[in-house]
Amino acid sequence: MTMITAPELEIAVLVLGMAILLVEAFAAKIDKRVLAFVGIAGLALVLVASFFVTPGSSTSQATGFWSFYTADRLSIFFKQFSLVTTIFVLILMTDYAPVLRSSFPGATLQAGLGEFFALPIFTCVGLMYLVSAIDFVFIFVSLELVTISFYVLVSFTRRNPITLEAGTKYLVLSALSTAFLVYGIAWIFGVTGQTNLQQIADALANPATDRNAALFGMVLILVALGFKIAAVPFQIWVPDVYQGAPTPVTAYLSVGSKAAGFVVLLRVLEPFLALPQTQRLIVVIALLTLIYGNLAALPQANLKRLLAYSSIAHAGYLLIGVACFDASAIGFYLVAYLLMTLLSFAVLIIVAQQTGEQIDDFDGLAKRSPFLAFAMLIGMISLAGVPFTAGFLGKFFIFYAAILQHQTALVVTGVITVGCGFYYYLKVIRAMYWQSSARVDKIPVNGLSRLAISALIIATIWLGVYPQPILDALKR
Amino acid sequence: MITLGDYLIVSGILFVIGFAGVMLRRNLIIILMSLELMLNAANLSLVAFSRFRVDSTGLPNYDVQVFVFFIITVAAAEVAVGLAIIVALYRARQTTDVKDISSLKF
Repeated sequence: MTMITAPELEIAVLVLGMAILLVEAFAAKIDKRVLAFVGIAGLALVLVASFFVTPGSSTSQATGFWSFYTADRLSIFFKQFSLVTTIFVLILMTDYAPVLRSSFPGATLQAGLGEFFALPIFTCVGLMYLVSAIDFVFIFVSLELVTISFYVLVSFTRRNPITLEAGTKYLVLSALSTAFLVYGIAWIFGVTGQTNLQQIADALANPATDRNAALFGMVLILVALGFKIAAVPFQIWVPDVYQGAPTPVTAYLSVGSKAAGFVVLLRVLEPFLALPQTQRLIVVIALLTLIYGNLAALPQANLKRLLAYSSIAHAGYLLIGVACFDASAIGFYLVAYLLMTLLSFAVLIIVAQQTGEQIDDFDGLAKRSPFLAFAMLIGMISLAGVPFTAGFLGKFFIFYAAILQHQTALVVTGVITVGCGFYYYLKVIRAMYWQSSARVDKIPVNGLSRLAISALIIATIWLGVYPQPILDALKR
Repeated sequence: MITLGDYLIVSGILFVIGFAGVMLRRNLIIILMSLELMLNAANLSLVAFSRFRVDSTGLPNYDVQVFVFFIITVAAAEVAVGLAIIVALYRARQTTDVKDISSLKF
C-alpha cells in the first residue's frame, strides 16, 4: 500500500472545493444541496485518509517546503479536527438553506447556495494549513486564507442589514489584527533574522539577541492572535459578529477559527517561553477573559449572543491551558468544545426557523420536540461543565494542569466563573423544561440532522466517561 | 547616510497614523485606506530589516522581501472583498458612516 503524506490531504480538499465551484458554475439545473452532500462525502473520505498518514517530527535542519510545514502528531490531529468541524458545518448549512433562500428576494430559488457550500471547504484548507504552519510567512498566508473566506461567509446574506453590519465589523477588526500580526512579524524578523519558529527559538536562546525588541514583536503578534481566539481585551467584535452572521457560519467561527488560533498560539509562543514576561502576560489575559466572558453572559436574552459570550468564557479556560503550556489539555478541551458548541448551534438553527433566537423562544421545547430539547440539554450541561460530559473533563484537565503549575489565581477564578456559567446555561434548560408555550406543534427534523445531532450527543457523553482515545491521539 | 533607525521611525509613524485613522475616522472607505497604510508600514520595516541585515555573502535576506510580495497580494484580496462588502452595505443602508451601523448592541 502506498503511504499518504500530509500535504496531499490539503491538496485533495482544495481540489474538492474547486470541483464544487465549477459544478455550481456550469450545472445550473441541479439541486444545489447535492453540492453540500458531495462536499460532506469528499471531506469524510479525506478524514478517513488522514488516519493513514504517519506523523513526522519537525527538525530545525528542515529545508525547502518542510521548513514551512510540519506533519507532527499535533498538526495531524487538528487537521482531522478541522475536517470534522467542516463536515458538521456543511450539515448545519443544508438545514439553514431555506433561510438563505428567503434572504435573496427576487432571485432564483437556488441563488447563492453553491458558493455557500463551497466556501467552507476553502476555509477548511486554510485551517489545515494553519495547524501545520511553522514559519511566519506560511502562518500569515494560511491565516489570511481562513480570514478572507470568513469575510464572505459572515456577510453572506447580504440583503440583511444586520448581517452586513456584522460583516463590516468583522472586516475592519480582522484586517486591523492582520496589520498587527505583520508588524509583529517584521519586528521579530528584525531581531532574530529568521521567520522559521525553530530558528527563532535558537536565535532567542543566544544572549546577544535584543530581548526587549523581541518582546515588542511578540506582544504585537499576541494582539493579532487575541482577536482570532476572542481573548479580552480583543473580544469587542465577537458578540456583534456572532449574532449577525448566518448561524452555521457563527458555529464555524466559534469552533474552527478558535481552534486554529489556539494551535498557532501554542506554536508561536514556544520560542518565547524563554522570556519570563510571556507567561505573566498570558495569565493576565486569561483572568480578564474568564471574568469578562462569564459576567457579560449573565444578562443576555438572545441565545446566539449568549453563545458568543460563552465562547469568550471558554477562550478563558483554554488560555489557562496556554499559560500552563499543556497542549494535550488544550486539545481535549477543544474537542469537547467542538462537540457541545456544534450541538447547541445545530438545535438553535432548527428551532430558530420555527420561532426565533431569543431564549424565550425555547419555552416549552421539551413538549414540542423532546429530541431537540434533550440535545440542547446535553449541549448546555456540557458547556456548563456537569460531570459525565466532555465539558466537565475538559475543564478538569485544564484545572489539573494549572494546579500542577501552582497557578492558584487562575484555578480560583476559573472555579468561581464555572459557578457563574451554571446560571446562564441553566436559564436555557429552564425555558425548555419548565416554561410553557402557547405553541404546541411539532418541529420537524430531517434525517441527516437527526443523525448528526445523535452522533454529537453520544460523543459528548462518551468522551465524558471515557476520554482515553482523544488523550492517546494527542500524546506525543 | 540613511540608517536602519530612520526607516523604522518612518514606518512606526506610518503605522500610528494608520491606527489613528482606523480608530478616529468615521468613513469606512477611509478606514480601509488606513488599514492599507498600516500594512505598508509593516512592509517598509520588513524591507528595511532585510536590506540592513546582510549575511556572510554580503547579500540581504531575500525570503522576507518575497514575504512582502505575499503581503501586498493578500492585502489586495482583502481590499477586493472589503470594498464589495462596503458596496453591499451602501446599497442596503445608503451610508458608509460607522455611526449609522450600530443596531447590534449589548
